[in-house]
Amino acid sequence: MTKDDAPQADEDRREFAEEADTLWEITIAPAIWALHFLLCYGLMSLACAKDLFPAGTVRLVLIAASVAALAAIVGLGLRSLRQWGALKTGEITHPRGTPENRHRFLGHAAFLLSVIAFLGVIFVSMPLLVIGGCQ
Amino acid sequence: MKRNQCDPPSSVRAQGLALFVLLPVLAGCDGVQSALAPAGEDASVLATLFWVMLIGAVVLFTLMNGLFFYLTRIRVHAQSETVARWLMIGGGIVLPVVVVGTLLVWGLSILPDHRQGGDGLRIHVTGEQWWWRVEYWPEGADEPVIAANEIRFPAGERTELVLESAHVIHSFWIPALGGKMDMFPGRETFLSLRPTRPGTFRGQCAEFCGASHTWMAFDAHVMEPDAFDDWLAAQTEDAAAPASAAAERGAELFGREGCGACHAIRGTDHVGTVGPDLTHIGSRTTLAAGRLGVSQSDFQDWIAHPDALKPGVEMPPFDHLSDDEISDLARYLRGLE
Repeated sequence: MTKDDAPQADEDRREFAEEADTLWEITIAPAIWALHFLLCYGLMSLACAKDLFPAGTVRLVLIAASVAALAAIVGLGLRSLRQWGALKTGEITHPRGTPENRHRFLGHAAFLLSVIAFLGVIFVSMPLLVIGGCQ
Repeated sequence: MKRNQCDPPSSVRAQGLALFVLLPVLAGCDGVQSALAPAGEDASVLATLFWVMLIGAVVLFTLMNGLFFYLTRIRVHAQSETVARWLMIGGGIVLPVVVVGTLLVWGLSILPDHRQGGDGLRIHVTGEQWWWRVEYWPEGADEPVIAANEIRFPAGERTELVLESAHVIHSFWIPALGGKMDMFPGRETFLSLRPTRPGTFRGQCAEFCGASHTWMAFDAHVMEPDAFDDWLAAQTEDAAAPASAAAERGAELFGREGCGACHAIRGTDHVGTVGPDLTHIGSRTTLAAGRLGVSQSDFQDWIAHPDALKPGVEMPPFDHLSDDEISDLARYLRGLE
């Protein structure tokens, strides 16, 4: 192996830098799901157990928050779907380690996480619609 | 033809084939303490949920294994990528989401039912170690009717149960009438039940609570509303006076041995509240919270050796009394109807 063939640290760093900056973006949809969960359980328990707020108002606020969370997740999902590019290129997996492949893989992962976050928010919101108050 | 109590509701009876496989085990689901032989509205809801989930699970299990068999034994060659993908998306994402989502909506829709308000009667039950302190509060009552170790319900009416515990966590459960609810020291929990079929069922503490947890049970009697009203009116009366010479000797012994320090018998000087109220113990169908029957020998055994029957019980043994004395005491208590 000659010196020229050895991988160069700087080159690697440059190559990965672009994706490293956007890597955290795949966590946004699950983070919205987590925040929505906290908001629902926190506010509802303060309303029902501590009587701090009227339950009916909290319910409406949380339904609105759920719609907002779902809209945000749909937005993120569509963005990552475009980044993934499967609909346009027909390529679902990205087995080569090129920057383009990494970029599309992150889109793929973010899209699947958006789908699960969307379902999570719906399941967490279900009691708001079905149960209503502090029963 | 009389409908078997174990039959699933007619809405799911169409799945008879799956049931046929289960027939050998169904014989065990009848009885006084079975959630599969519901005697009330709340238990019926749970039994339906159980049958639907069981049949659904059997269908899914069969489908999965059938698919497995098909792909590994019948059509062994490689599948096209499209088939594999749709199988994964359909069977791995869409189907579970629909099934779990449907069960979630159904579960949530029946969740508030066990907390709905009653038709007037409220029963306050406190879990003790290891028995049940029971207070009946009819609508508009200023003071409760005190009882213990059995609970009676008017059929067809929704009764509210307010539950708490004296020392440790217990759980209140009458499987034939509804779901269970935990009882906590220092915190009230709430449950409402609407029994529909008159009869005697068995309740059982469903949270481990100490040495005699197993022996912490009770009879739940569902009565026709008129019979219930008569029974409750009788329970408000003071205790009956001893009706025989033996019972009179027993009443005297009851006082002399200090039983009244722990047990109350209304209409006498005995006002203890440590143990169960004995004012109408002769009208109950079990002794020592479902531990024994109510025969003369059951009473005698219990008075002489409570600890042998219920490990850890607070009541001391009275085996220092002669057999005759214990027999007299038993006669007195059995006469308290």
